[in-house]
Amino acid sequence: MADYYSSFEPKGTRWLLQRLTAAFLVVVLAFHFMLLHFVNHAAEITFQGTAIRMSQLGYFLTMVLFLVTATFHGVNGVYNALVNQGLSGTGKTAVKYGLALAGLLLIVQGVRVALAMTTII
Amino acid sequence: MSQSYDRGLIEDFGRWREFSAGMWAWVLHKFTGWVLVGYLFTHVAVLSTATVDGTTYTNTLQALESVVIVRFLEVGLLAVAVFHILNGLRLLFVDLGVGLESQDRSFYASLILTAAIVVASIPTFLEGVF
Repeated sequence: MADYYSSFEPKGTRWLLQRLTAAFLVVVLAFHFMLLHFVNHAAEITFQGTAIRMSQLGYFLTMVLFLVTATFHGVNGVYNALVNQGLSGTGKTAVKYGLALAGLLLIVQGVRVALAMTTII
Repeated sequence: MSQSYDRGLIEDFGRWREFSAGMWAWVLHKFTGWVLVGYLFTHVAVLSTATVDGTTYTNTLQALESVVIVRFLEVGLLAVAVFHILNGLRLLFVDLGVGLESQDRSFYASLILTAAIVVASIPTFLEGVF
């Protein structure tokens, strides 16, 4: 009987973080879609509306946490997929640091963009 | 206690006719994951170029939203995101050891629910573009 299959070893910090970020992202990604496509229609988005939303501290912090968790979940997912496909040795090390750098740059740039949309700071 | 399951190599995609529900779930979760992470980088890049000043931001977003193909791509993105969310919930339950006996049925439920949500969302996503 097929009881259990997972491409991950159920051990370690990255394994746990991938699942904790998943649980958070399930809620926040659905909220993001609902707010910016159904509550506010995407075609009617203006900078003024974005600035009002982003200037609320709770919303701003949620969006920054959304960025950080989505980046980790996505970049770690790509790394896991590549390792699962047989990536090893020097290539694995290069991909690990390359993805970590890309993720870090995305977070830095994402926070810069978020700050440009707010009047908090 | 978990047991290993010899399902053969899923990476050998030439065997796709023999794939079980769980293997299709794996393939679709990987595919939608690649799309979402690609979109995440694109999304931040587009917002970065748009957030020069308020007028540029509003004009860029409204110009993009006036293009029919963009609206259809958004429907595609919704489909990808909804499936990844629903199948992701299924995976969280699998990891918790809940509902293992119905993991194939929960995959079919993810597909049907994704289709229903996407079809119901099409009028909202295409509103005003034609």
